[in-house]
Amino acid sequence: MESGRPLQSDPVIEDYKRDVDRTLIRENLRLSVTERFEKLMALQQFAEELRRAGRDARRRK
Amino acid sequence: MTDFRALLAALTDAGVEFLIVGGAAATAHGAARLTADLDIVYHRTQENCQRLVSALRDLAPYLRGAPPGLPFRWEEQTIANGLNFTLTTNYGDLDLLGEITGGGGYEELLPHAIVLRPFGIECRCLGLKRLIEVKRAAGRPKDFEAIAELEAIVEERGE
Repeated sequence: MESGRPLQSDPVIEDYKRDVDRTLIRENLRLSVTERFEKLMALQQFAEELRRAGRDARRRK
Repeated sequence: MTDFRALLAALTDAGVEFLIVGGAAATAHGAARLTADLDIVYHRTQENCQRLVSALRDLAPYLRGAPPGLPFRWEEQTIANGLNFTLTTNYGDLDLLGEITGGGGYEELLPHAIVLRPFGIECRCLGLKRLIEVKRAAGRPKDFEAIAELEAIVEERGE
């Protein structure tokens, strides 16, 4: 069961919150939990492909 | 890539008592940040440690970042001798946590867990507000952006 207590505001976090992309959050909240994990795994795969491409490019130099 | 489906299935099939925490829990709640591993808090009973050993036995668990060839044995005594383990497995990176800063162990966290069914696998995940409280309590600057995103999720949900 989740705590019902309201979270106390923290000025440092409030400052960071201004930079949060809420469109991404809204998009994720429309997904099922399974879809959120699938999206994360696809993102991991993409990041790995970028890293591999970077390594290949450095080797070719 | 971490195969969350395979790791969760391995753990639940073996009957391991655990809670998803950390970045994977944030993903489950709707966060968009990239996380590389599955963090779980496991129940540190003898029976559960046996289940954990059984669950990961065939996944080649090894200490992440350690040089190859160390005499690391995945057995109950290894878990008993330690608390938190950052592992690589055949299905990706897995962090096994006996306790987390500001949150305690499995029994302390369990009342704050919710039940989820990712990939049709029933498992427990630390609730959003407790996840925020725990990250706040840890006080690590690297978590500030993650906390801000989690708090924005609370607001977007209208809670």
